Amino acid sequence: MNIQANGLCAERSGRIILHPTDVNLKPGERVGLVGASGSGKSTLGHELVDGLRARGTRVAHVPQSPDEALDPLRTMAFHWRETEHALGHAPDTVRRDVLFHALQIEGGDLRKRPWGWSRGMQQRFVIAMALIGTPELLVMDEPTSALDPVVAAGTMDLLEAYLKKRQTALLLITHDLGLAARRVSRLMVMDAGRVVEDAPTARILSAPVTPAAKALCAHRNWLELPC
Amino acid sequence: MLTVANISVRRGAAVTLRDLSLSLAPGRTLAVVGESGAGKSTLIGAILGLVRCSAGQVDWNAAPVSKCRPALVMQEPRAAFNPRLSLRRSVMEPVLAQKLAMDSDRLERLCRGLELQPDLLDRRPDQVSIGQAQRIGILRALIAAPPLVLFDEPLSALDAVTQKHTARLIADMQRQEGFAALIVTHDLGYAAAYADEIAVLRAGKIEEYAATQAFVDAPQSEYGRKLRGAAFALGALERVA
Repeated sequence: MNIQANGLCAERSGRIILHPTDVNLKPGERVGLVGASGSGKSTLGHELVDGLRARGTRVAHVPQSPDEALDPLRTMAFHWRETEHALGHAPDTVRRDVLFHALQIEGGDLRKRPWGWSRGMQQRFVIAMALIGTPELLVMDEPTSALDPVVAAGTMDLLEAYLKKRQTALLLITHDLGLAARRVSRLMVMDAGRVVEDAPTARILSAPVTPAAKALCAHRNWLELPC
Repeated sequence: MLTVANISVRRGAAVTLRDLSLSLAPGRTLAVVGESGAGKSTLIGAILGLVRCSAGQVDWNAAPVSKCRPALVMQEPRAAFNPRLSLRRSVMEPVLAQKLAMDSDRLERLCRGLELQPDLLDRRPDQVSIGQAQRIGILRALIAAPPLVLFDEPLSALDAVTQKHTARLIADMQRQEGFAALIVTHDLGYAAAYADEIAVLRAGKIEEYAATQAFVDAPQSEYGRKLRGAAFALGALERVA
């Protein structure tokens, strides 16, 4: 069944920051939500998560930085138990081991607090927490910008393999078209609180129509290398 | 010419930079790439004399670096300015500190080069966009015509389109002004596009130090190969068949 939310909109201090927008994803589909800073990407992500949750769709959200998701005074074990509890699951070490193995964080000491783990491991822990409830949709907001490139590339590869097996849909929110181009099959381009272009990745890369998409395409890569 | 000769930096028992050497000539760009905690920002501190080296020496033309009045462009554009001062006052700080004559032609020329409307300078840091704030940070760094400019992750707070625009402006300014640029970045794509040489820093040591094209074509160290692979996997570099 498709994941669908219609008429998402948002207003702050009397100013419309997200005009009414419909979002529709097929099961297992990978979609990129791209645009410049301030174009309304994260707002649409939040509205989508809230709207779908209110209707009972299982949807998980991974924020840009692990600092937003983890309490520095609580142990990693506490975070894990709290998430299981909130989702109505009994503690299950097998499920935990499977997720930790998929994201390669088996070595992490759960008795430690977040700052006892590297940032790369923290971010992967947050992704693992997001997958506890076997969501139908995973919304990731700039998942790699807090990470070193080597760790970021590894995390995206591990996550992609995991999602593929389970037919989980992915909404990847990023300002970086270069990153999105490699990871998603469809792109939604945002500008000034509206989705201005919504098309298969290959089409937008080869023939962008709107000025926002053209700017992103023109500045997609630093360099193209013959390899 | 900047010469960093065999410097080491200790923090307590830990060694954050070990036996590190590099050199940089006027008009050239050196990119220092590496993961968080590799010692990139410590290197900037050591060059500026803000961090004491336990061994080795840093010189500009055989004199202490502080004599050449190097400039620094910081990572967080808005946090780099005093929030209570107008941007114009902050931009003029190096001119005032060095007791130089105020040259309004130069200010105007630099504003034009950095695509800044001069009236933006009458605002405060929170009244301009992040991209504008970073260009004003670059303006402040260049106003007193330093021969050496250090950039600490100058683009990482900006979005992808603004990053590429700002990178081009930095390169244009360097062509006009002829300063030596040392750019610390974790973005190999940026380094590959704009630097003459790349130094890969890991755990306080230089793993690889090569001309950019040679590094991008065939990194010699294992970590260098990993970095290059990650840049492709994240779409920072693109393969063309």
